[in-house]
Amino acid sequence: MKRVLALVLALAVAVAVALAAGRTDRAAAKPEAGSLVGTGSTFVFPLVSKWIPAIDQAYGTRVTYTGTGSGTGIAQITARAVDFGASDAPLSPDQLAACKGCLVIPWALAAMSVPYNVPGVDGRIRLSGPVLANIYLGRITTWNNAAIKALNPKLNLPGTKITPVYRADSSGSTYAFTEYLSAVSPQWKSKVGFNTAVNFPAGVGARGSSGVSGIVKSTAGALTYVDAAYATTNKLTFATIKNRSGKFATPGLRGIKAAVSTLPKKITSVSQLEIVNPPKAAGKLAYPIATFTYVIVASNSGSKAADLRKFIYWDVTQGQKFGPPLWFQPLPVPVQAFAFRELKKIQAGT
Amino acid sequence: MSVTPVDPHDITVRSNGLRRRRIVEKGFGVVAILAALMACAILAVVLGTVIYKGFSQLSLSFFTEPRPLFGEQGGIADALVGSALIVGMAMLMAIPVAVLVAIYMSEYAGPRVSRALRVVLDVLNGVPAIVVGIFVFGILVVGHGQSAVYGAFALAILMLPMVSRATQEILDVVPQSLRHASLALGVTKWRTTLSIVLPAAIGGILTGVVIAVARVAGETAPLLFTTSVAANTVSLDVHGALPTLPVLIYENSESPDPNAQAAGWAAALVLIVFVLLLNVLAKFFAGRKRRKLEGS
Amino acid sequence: MTSAPFEPTATPELDLRRRGIRLGDVLFKGIAIVAALAAVVLLAFIAWKILDLARPAISHFGLSFIWTDVWDPVKEEFGALAFIYGTVVTSVIALVLATPLSIAIALFLTEIAPRRIAAPIATMVELLAAIPSVVLGLWGIIVFGPWVRDHLEPWLQGVLGFLPIFSGDPSQVGILPAALVLTIMIVPITSAICRELFLRVPRDLVDGSLALGSTRWEAIRGVMFAYAAPGIAAAVLLGLGRAFGEAIAVNQTIGNRNVIPTSWFEPGNSLGSMIAAQYTGATSVLQAGSILYLAAILMVISLVANVAAQLIVVRFERARRAV
Repeated sequence: MKRVLALVLALAVAVAVALAAGRTDRAAAKPEAGSLVGTGSTFVFPLVSKWIPAIDQAYGTRVTYTGTGSGTGIAQITARAVDFGASDAPLSPDQLAACKGCLVIPWALAAMSVPYNVPGVDGRIRLSGPVLANIYLGRITTWNNAAIKALNPKLNLPGTKITPVYRADSSGSTYAFTEYLSAVSPQWKSKVGFNTAVNFPAGVGARGSSGVSGIVKSTAGALTYVDAAYATTNKLTFATIKNRSGKFATPGLRGIKAAVSTLPKKITSVSQLEIVNPPKAAGKLAYPIATFTYVIVASNSGSKAADLRKFIYWDVTQGQKFGPPLWFQPLPVPVQAFAFRELKKIQAGT
Repeated sequence: MSVTPVDPHDITVRSNGLRRRRIVEKGFGVVAILAALMACAILAVVLGTVIYKGFSQLSLSFFTEPRPLFGEQGGIADALVGSALIVGMAMLMAIPVAVLVAIYMSEYAGPRVSRALRVVLDVLNGVPAIVVGIFVFGILVVGHGQSAVYGAFALAILMLPMVSRATQEILDVVPQSLRHASLALGVTKWRTTLSIVLPAAIGGILTGVVIAVARVAGETAPLLFTTSVAANTVSLDVHGALPTLPVLIYENSESPDPNAQAAGWAAALVLIVFVLLLNVLAKFFAGRKRRKLEGS
Repeated sequence: MTSAPFEPTATPELDLRRRGIRLGDVLFKGIAIVAALAAVVLLAFIAWKILDLARPAISHFGLSFIWTDVWDPVKEEFGALAFIYGTVVTSVIALVLATPLSIAIALFLTEIAPRRIAAPIATMVELLAAIPSVVLGLWGIIVFGPWVRDHLEPWLQGVLGFLPIFSGDPSQVGILPAALVLTIMIVPITSAICRELFLRVPRDLVDGSLALGSTRWEAIRGVMFAYAAPGIAAAVLLGLGRAFGEAIAVNQTIGNRNVIPTSWFEPGNSLGSMIAAQYTGATSVLQAGSILYLAAILMVISLVANVAAQLIVVRFERARRAV
């Protein structure tokens, strides 16, 4: 009898403790200085994965990061549930206002590859912006469509149905890709537009960069848009995309470098960093769907400010050298300088 | 419930089609057997696939190493620890309340109140797990950030009606003579309840608890909003978000990376073995309960 | 201890002890009442909070949200019809397949199989119920989906291709794979309830029917079904509630396309799946509110299914007590 009574009492106490603990201030419960928590973009995840052990070694700063999608990154930092958010899309004016004093700092640069799964084609498929737009609009439905054939006169394209795959979650990849489609296709712009999530007229949705790559890998005829690192790690072939010079560019480092070559020498605002569909002056190599990706932090970061400054400074300087093997192009100098200026605004506050 | 009587006239009419009746009789048997076989076959296929794809991944390091970062190999230690902590906390939150609710229903409340409470619990049991997740997100996570405690709270909400109903059903079959004997000896009602009625019912309560744990251990939806933004490190800090097995399986399920897929299968195997063991345990408790109550 | 003489002072002490005892009873009853009230309040609080969270979207779109078929985060136009369609269609397909299957399994277990075979098979069906939905989803997306695409859907198209619901190209994710995964989820639940129901049918009624010369099937149809019909209806509604609310396995298999598909081979989306996919990433107030509106709709339809099931059970039991 006493045993049961004691058991019940112990359970009741445990509940009380658990509930009380749940109510304690979260700030007090957060790990002490020297550790940072972030979430967001799955696009930048491969690179951040390399940074985490390196920064731990360099400064002893323990960083934890989960790829949950850019939309989640924005939402989480807006709610101050994490120390930093990561997004491939810059914040819209509304989002910036909602985030109350958030800084948007470019910290990586990469290309959005367009991997496909078309069995039996010997050679790399070439695509153009308008063709991509028509595929995602559901107007081009088979791989042997005349418009694709015209771009690939040497290839023997099968009549396989095209399954365009898009991100079901709220994603910066979707932002960059739809921004590009809006730039090259007036129909896309008027019918769909661009955002971190849009109303895709055709196709199949999957979660995260790995989700869309997964569907492409297992579905004959599928294509998607994803970080080049995901495409290559998962052995997917990506298309070359026609740029404004009329050449077919690859999402490689030279393609990205050319795409940012026309950026102004002094960057004063994130809005200058939109680099999809770069002008003809960018050159023959310029890949048309490249994007900067951003870290979003609160300018008033309390006890985390020093660690955040150190972490992001390291990322935009030494961290960049981890990029090339993962198809991330190191940041151009003017962008780096812009990041430095923004970094200084991260303060402990009052 | 009035039972439709078998109309004798109808039968004589039908007996004319004796052949047809025999065919229908045979057909019904075959269909029923096929249906049962199909259910078993589906179970075999699902379990077989999970074992086939997951077993080869299992190794000591799979249990001791955390999830890998991008494109590497690793284990599930972080998710195992997180799941264990969260389910444990959910049990601590749900069981005492659930048992008290059941005690109120069977020891104190009148039949009408008791029946109403039963309906409330059954309806609570029917609230979709993802709605419970949103609810906890709305009242706790917004403004505080994700935390394992909130995830446990969401799971506790799912456990509460399951444990309550199981407990109440078993309390109802504890013989009244036990209570009367104890009360007649001058023992107070609350002591009778705690020291006579509950121990007599403990087998059934444990069965209910174990089944509820088995169910919530595999729940993903409530955890997505409460404790999914978690690092891949083994952590005991329940105030931060912790990784869990179901969320890990969910995330790996769509991955094109064979390593990640394999890890997903292996994690699924671990989860299924755990859940099935709990079910076997529940059967054991249920058997003991029956013996005990029959014996008394 | 020295034995104290019996003095008047002892009486208040005894009283105090008695009161203490009664206090214990009162306290314990109080705690139990609080716990029971907490359960009721919790249910009400969940319902209120979800509606409250959805209020911005409810006041912005009104009820027309329910029958609007658009989900456009760019123009900030949102409607639930595509998701309601996906939820209802997948759940109803699952139910139409699962109900006869469950009844057949339950009949096999109670009427046909000898006890030695019935017991292990009943256990296996129970174990099927114990498989977490996320594991079924994993299996659904990697193993089952491709099989549906390569074998089941081409076969269906060959046989019933003239129906628009079986038109178009087979796909590994879509309405049909999601509905089939839901079927696998519901069968163990409904068959377990049906088995209970059949076991509770008074044996003499069945025996009486058999004695009158009916075949076993006729006895089942005339006696057992008639007796268990309300219970079966409740089981079906419970299964429906479960199917409505399943988010994870559906999200993994349905294809996440926010439109109403004509063909069941095509991808669609359900309420639960959409909430799972986009809620944490909703970046505008209206979008987050709209997803909460979806959650409110989901809650209401699953509550309706569940309450209906409970009412049937209550009425059924009252009627049975009367018999």
